[in-house]
Amino acid sequence: MSEYYLFHDSSKCIGCLSCEVHCKENKRLPVGPRLCRVMTVGPKMVGGLPKVDFIFMPCFHCERPWCVAACPTGAMQKRAEDGIVFVNEELCVGCKACMRACPWGVPQWNPETGKAVKCDYCKDRVDKGLEPACVAKCVTKCLHFGRPEQMVDSRRERHAKAMAAVGWEVTLRQPTAPASKPRKPPVRKQAE
Amino acid sequence: MAQESTCPVREIRQEVASALAQESIKEPRARMRAEKLLVLLEDIAQGRAGSEHLADLKAVARSLTERQDAHGADLGQRILSLLESQGEIFQSHILTRNCASGACDMLAPAPCQMACPSGIDVPSYVALIGQGRYQEAVNLIRQDNPFPWVCGLVCTHPCEFVCVRGQVDSPVAIKELKAFAAEKALSEGRYLNPPKEPATGHMVCVVGAGPAGLTAAYFLALKGHKVTVIEALPMAGGMMMVGIPRFRLPREVIDREVAFIEELGVEFRFNTRLGVEVTLQSLRKEGFEAFFIAVGAHASHRLAVPGEDLPQVLDAVRFLRDVAMGARKRPGERVLVVGGGNVAIDAARTLVRLGCREVTLLYRRSRSEMPANVEEVRQAEEEGVRLVFLTIPVEVMGEKGRVVGLRCLRARLSEPDARGRRRPVPIEGSDHIMAADAVVTAIGQRVLTEGLEHLDLRWSSWDTIVADTITAGAGREGIFAGGDVVLGPATVVEAIGAGKRAAEGIDRFLKGLPQPTMPAVPVRRARLEPWEMAASLKMDLKRCEMPLLGPERRRITFQQVELGLGEEQARREAHRCLRCDICKRCGRCVVVCRDRMEIDALKLGYVGQPGESPTDFRMTSERCILCGACAANCPTGAMQMEDRGEERLLILGGTILQRERLERCQGCGDYLGPSRYLDFVRKRTSGLAQAFAGRLLCEKCARRATAESKSGMSVPQG
Repeated sequence: MSEYYLFHDSSKCIGCLSCEVHCKENKRLPVGPRLCRVMTVGPKMVGGLPKVDFIFMPCFHCERPWCVAACPTGAMQKRAEDGIVFVNEELCVGCKACMRACPWGVPQWNPETGKAVKCDYCKDRVDKGLEPACVAKCVTKCLHFGRPEQMVDSRRERHAKAMAAVGWEVTLRQPTAPASKPRKPPVRKQAE
Repeated sequence: MAQESTCPVREIRQEVASALAQESIKEPRARMRAEKLLVLLEDIAQGRAGSEHLADLKAVARSLTERQDAHGADLGQRILSLLESQGEIFQSHILTRNCASGACDMLAPAPCQMACPSGIDVPSYVALIGQGRYQEAVNLIRQDNPFPWVCGLVCTHPCEFVCVRGQVDSPVAIKELKAFAAEKALSEGRYLNPPKEPATGHMVCVVGAGPAGLTAAYFLALKGHKVTVIEALPMAGGMMMVGIPRFRLPREVIDREVAFIEELGVEFRFNTRLGVEVTLQSLRKEGFEAFFIAVGAHASHRLAVPGEDLPQVLDAVRFLRDVAMGARKRPGERVLVVGGGNVAIDAARTLVRLGCREVTLLYRRSRSEMPANVEEVRQAEEEGVRLVFLTIPVEVMGEKGRVVGLRCLRARLSEPDARGRRRPVPIEGSDHIMAADAVVTAIGQRVLTEGLEHLDLRWSSWDTIVADTITAGAGREGIFAGGDVVLGPATVVEAIGAGKRAAEGIDRFLKGLPQPTMPAVPVRRARLEPWEMAASLKMDLKRCEMPLLGPERRRITFQQVELGLGEEQARREAHRCLRCDICKRCGRCVVVCRDRMEIDALKLGYVGQPGESPTDFRMTSERCILCGACAANCPTGAMQMEDRGEERLLILGGTILQRERLERCQGCGDYLGPSRYLDFVRKRTSGLAQAFAGRLLCEKCARRATAESKSGMSVPQG
């Protein structure tokens, strides 16, 4: 794993795909490759209501990456200093072995360059002390990036707050949990 | 290709692209303009540009100079000055869709087209023949050369010497294919002249109805000018008619092709010599504004030995002309021909046909130095011509005013001089006499200058007119010259090329347009899909054998020696073409496969350095895993990988190098890749834990499966 942690707070995610758009914009990618993906899972019925999950899928920057092992040209590398897995474009010849090897389907194909391209946590930005593009422009601030020890444990925090406010059943989102004390309806704000 | 020469289009395109990539142009509107410039330059470099591209490029570059962005303004200025100084190259990219330097990948021209003096788009017409579209093939040839059939029979085919297939086995029989298509097109109907431009009212006089003059007349007539050809002989064709014997080039072939030029409204005046029947002044009075001097080299060099004035010593040019005009009398029983070029061979073979008992050809050097076409020499030998090498004539022996023999010296070859030429050195005391009744000399031709003096042109020391190599302008207002009269004795196709260049120069002169300063680049007429075939067949197709008339028959008749290819034979021959108009042979595919992927499946010797390794298309299938890296790195799209039905194919210029059945994704059923490829990846990752319990999933399904498992995890159970 890399030394960084990209945390997606799925309960705050609305699936707006801002992260994907800014990722592509930052990397200047054509139609096709999507380095981070917000996958919509569902809808499934939860307590009689349809519910979808938005799962944010960047690269996991594995400890022992399949893609690095598969790459015959040494283009796919793991950065020694922080464990970021990235493609050296100069060395990539477009054999797609990384795409085939990755169990998570992370490396993507750039039809314009004929090379593989993947999430590298926007290492150019990270090196400048910035957040990855997806995190920087996340509309609901559900994406968080940093070193694990610096990360706010928002899940615990929220859980604690929710427990204090409404009791533990609601926060657990149990499939069969009765909506005895429904959440407050969201306050609709005027459009700015 | 060993090295890539530079091209301003490519260079500036890369500069704009890198300026955009490095974000050195900051101001948003300047950036927008730079992006527009890149699109325009890409279009030009890829052959998609139209007539308005250059003006657009200039306008956008100018508006970029006006933006408040130092880097952008600088780039705009550089483009403007580049268009000023090298605009012709940009224009030529747009008009010809060929980049002469080969630097623009998609516009890299085929070697055969570049070698052709008349600039025929060889790969395209060969491809059309391969598809059985003969009439279209001829129409395509005739956009650059009005004599497909003549060239198909007698061209010296410089194209075949550079043919890349020659590095694999032997060159494509380009000349024979041209003759086949022309014959087929005429036997099925007729040639279609290209559309003629509206009449301009200008009058042009062409002097000499040889290949150069007729070609100029053809292109000038197409441009809408009124062309009149004056010719000293009573028929059109020039040296094609009176220099090349009928058994190589039947008169009907010339007549048929000239008729289509006449159809364009070109007028002929035969038995008319410049300087005798007409003069420049009289022609100007008739209203001619431009003149193209294209007389042939109809005089012979003399041996300069004693006894040369005996009546049985003939010069080959006159001899061949007399025979062509109908005088079919043999000059003697035993005839010696002096010379080693095509004219000497033609004369010797003509003598055989006239019934001479013994025809012997003397040449000063050895067989390998002979300038004559190898094929013609072989045919001459089959017909019974005896070849004697390393022999120098020193005196024609005569008795009672008749030739009885030729006194000769034997020679040896000197060491190669600075130019690599080996000179014959006479061996002292090797005098011997070769008995003969007649001697025919064919040691070179020159231009007859009489009648041309009054043109007041500059002449070289070899009695040729000094003319501009690009525009054919001869230094005097409205006077142009080309063909033998400028080049010295040359080939039919060189004369055709000269006529084509002159037509362009004359047209620009008449219209008052600026003349080009760079040699014209041949035009890419089409970009045809290659003919698809298996690698083994591509390798197995050997160069066709031209069926010939039997030597016994050839000795007694002037009937055409080459009988022409059959249709099946011609189409198979056309399929041998490696389509160098698509594949620029940069060798990137081989380098990627061998050095980067370390698979080394591609055995394509012809794309690398000559002689580096052999070519065998069939061997690809032994190692290729169909990873597609070669195709991904091919700059021209010659190497293609595609999924078709249940298979994945790797195709280079139509040659199927590899095909394998595809495995499917166990999730969605999409095609994944052939098992060889999957094994390659599996082997490389075998040290790592197996994901998905060995399930074969495509990249989309893998993502989905991951998301689903993550989602499940985030919902606490129970």
